Amino acid sequence: MATALSEDVLLVVSHVRHKKRDGSLYLMTERIGWMEGSRQMFSISHLYADIKMQKISTEGKAKVQLQLILHDGGANTFHFANAERTSALKDRNDVKELLQQLLPKFKTKANKELEEKNRMLQEDPELFQLYKDLVMSGVISADEFWANRTVNSTGSQNTQHQDVGVSAAFLADIKPQTDGCNGLRYNLTADIIESIFRTYPAVKKKHAENVPDNMSESEFWTRFFQSHYFHRDRINAGNKDLFTDCAKIDEKEMKKVVNERLDDPLLDLSGMSDSSFGEGYGVGAKDSKSSGNISNTNLIKRFNHHNTRVLGVSEKAGTSIQSSSIESQPSTSTGSSLPNKNNSHIANNQSNGRNISSVNSNTTQDETVPSKRMRIKEAIEYEDLVPETRPPAVMLNLDKAERYHHGPMPVSKMDYATTEEMINATQVIREDMAQAKPTLFQTIHGSVASSVVSELSPGGSLMHGLGQQPLHQLYSQDIQVEMKNMYSALCELLRHFWSCFPVSSKFLEEKVTRMKINLERFQTSKLQPFREKLAMQHFNVNLINHMEELLETAYGKFTSWQARRMGSIVR
Amino acid sequence: MAEEEESSLLVVIVDVNPIWWGKMRIQDENDLKFTQCMESILVYVNSHLMMHRSNKVAIIASHTNSSCFLYPTATPTTEEEEDFLRDGKYEHFAKIDDTIFKEVKKLMTAHTAELHIDTLLTGSLAMALCYIHRLEKECIAGEKLKPRILVIKASDDSASQYMDFMNIIFTAQKQNILIDACVLDKDSGLLQQACDITGGIYLKIPQRTGLLQYLLVSSENIFCAFSPICSTCHTAFKIKGAPTLKKKKKKSAAVVSIM
Repeated sequence: MATALSEDVLLVVSHVRHKKRDGSLYLMTERIGWMEGSRQMFSISHLYADIKMQKISTEGKAKVQLQLILHDGGANTFHFANAERTSALKDRNDVKELLQQLLPKFKTKANKELEEKNRMLQEDPELFQLYKDLVMSGVISADEFWANRTVNSTGSQNTQHQDVGVSAAFLADIKPQTDGCNGLRYNLTADIIESIFRTYPAVKKKHAENVPDNMSESEFWTRFFQSHYFHRDRINAGNKDLFTDCAKIDEKEMKKVVNERLDDPLLDLSGMSDSSFGEGYGVGAKDSKSSGNISNTNLIKRFNHHNTRVLGVSEKAGTSIQSSSIESQPSTSTGSSLPNKNNSHIANNQSNGRNISSVNSNTTQDETVPSKRMRIKEAIEYEDLVPETRPPAVMLNLDKAERYHHGPMPVSKMDYATTEEMINATQVIREDMAQAKPTLFQTIHGSVASSVVSELSPGGSLMHGLGQQPLHQLYSQDIQVEMKNMYSALCELLRHFWSCFPVSSKFLEEKVTRMKINLERFQTSKLQPFREKLAMQHFNVNLINHMEELLETAYGKFTSWQARRMGSIVR
Repeated sequence: MAEEEESSLLVVIVDVNPIWWGKMRIQDENDLKFTQCMESILVYVNSHLMMHRSNKVAIIASHTNSSCFLYPTATPTTEEEEDFLRDGKYEHFAKIDDTIFKEVKKLMTAHTAELHIDTLLTGSLAMALCYIHRLEKECIAGEKLKPRILVIKASDDSASQYMDFMNIIFTAQKQNILIDACVLDKDSGLLQQACDITGGIYLKIPQRTGLLQYLLVSSENIFCAFSPICSTCHTAFKIKGAPTLKKKKKKSAAVVSIM
């Protein structure tokens, strides 16, 4: 087989038509391809990561088809055209099953990355602007742009993955669709399957045992739903049924739970009864009648069990997050191994699904010892009576206490050094004052007054700061925005540039050279036009001086680095 | 007047440090003399009173040994006031001028046993605050006092008064009392803070002899209605180095009444 790609081929299916042409479908480790019969090249080839989902035709349809829907909205339909219908079906199902296993592995990865990038751009308008400036205008490539970013983000992305809890009515929420002829059709999503697994561990065990060795995925679920409806009354008749022993396991578990329940010191379930005090005014005889109907008891028992399971899942998730996230990993992967939709046909005439809605009973969960202790503590301790424990206050260490109390000391010593000077000065003033007579009309000379007025007028020595208008008033909003974008773009480029130093590897060498070129390109394609625009509007062009300085510094560094490298090569 | 009566109380604190003034006097004959300084203040005070009939003033002298009120004085003036009616001055002004000058003369010519260097500015400020507080309490209903302190500072800052000084400033801030400063000599870090915190004006004047003019021009802006255009010279103000105007939008009542 002369394929252009030297990948492991996992599955080859012939007699697959695409657009009415015969060919073969190849499933490889990372991509799926379709080759027209006579050709030697793939006319269709998709990375698994590009595939959003697969769809298959329903059983009843004449054509056996499989459709691949891509993330970009495109779709390809393949027609399995084996002469015999059963083998065509088998071919299709083989492909489907394999894809089911392969797709999730790529899907999560590709989706997450794309989504993450999208999200980052949406959340951060500045980043978006940067993206527009640098990537869309072709200064740097998208990969380069994301190179640093995604590295940053993966660090922060490693936060705990939070498990979704199990809805109390998840079984009832699977709305079966009637397909017209006395059958029911269930669409199971990965989430529902996970819910089932988590709620019924016995089923999960069965699944692991039987699929795919003994039966196919859909067969398993068909049986599950049949049996689920079958033994909802728990008449353990059909011993052949796959899930018979599940019921027994459940039964066992119920007993176990009931026994455990009694340990809770803070909750006495057995002390509760249905009697109301109203009837006998609290003194009536104790009504100890047990509900006679055994099916009612069974029903209640099953409700309780269901609730226990549903609540138990969330409690387990709570503890497992604290202990380790590894523990929750296996269950997640089993759940998601069924990718998109699992169509199972149930030719059962049980139509209206019984509403297994939740009855919010007061079931409590098994208590692990520390949480029990915490609950007791919660019940017996009052927050406001607990002695306050405050972190010790920071001590103020005074190196020079007097400085703290007096504040700054005079920098220079007093000018009035000698006592003689002081006495003289006081003497002069005293004499002056003794003979002083106020002559208020001569207080100020006209010329002095006018010079003061001029000082206090615009342009005067006391009015400085007036002539210069503040920058933000001088330039229009547009210019400011453009300027800001220019800066952020340049800083991004410079960041790339400077991060290459010290240039320790071949890769960095290449990158630094490339970044230098990028910077130059930026200067000619962005900065220069901006400068001209400013000049045209008669603005002071030194607004971009700083940016040019930044560029010069970078160029300088580059030249010196290059010179040194040349030197070392020559030597 | 039907509207709420609003009177401006101006408390002027004059640094009368005899050592500094004496030294100035010895150094340069033509520089601002202490007497001239006092005269400038008198003219300024008169002009303030002229603005509105309910305007009030108080003058505190800040000496090296003590702080004391020059006007109003603690002791009521004795009946030897005939002479101030001589030159036909407005009685009220004449009385104030006379009192102030008499008091300052008394203070400056008094013989003191010891000499200190530092001006007791903090004490004077505290007195001013107390006085303002008292007047505010004495206000009858419907009357409103707009207090302001002007410090005319000559000598250097006194580091030993730092803590008390800052306390005073914060008190003033809390009481909504503005402190303006007019500095004759070296820049005063303490007063800069005081003005900044209380929202007053700090001005270090370049020409000492022009003190009165600085006071008048500034006060025109302080005590009149805020207008971005100077009423004297029709300049559009956008003051940065000198008075910051925005904070003090005084009621225009003052101007209206004298026009």
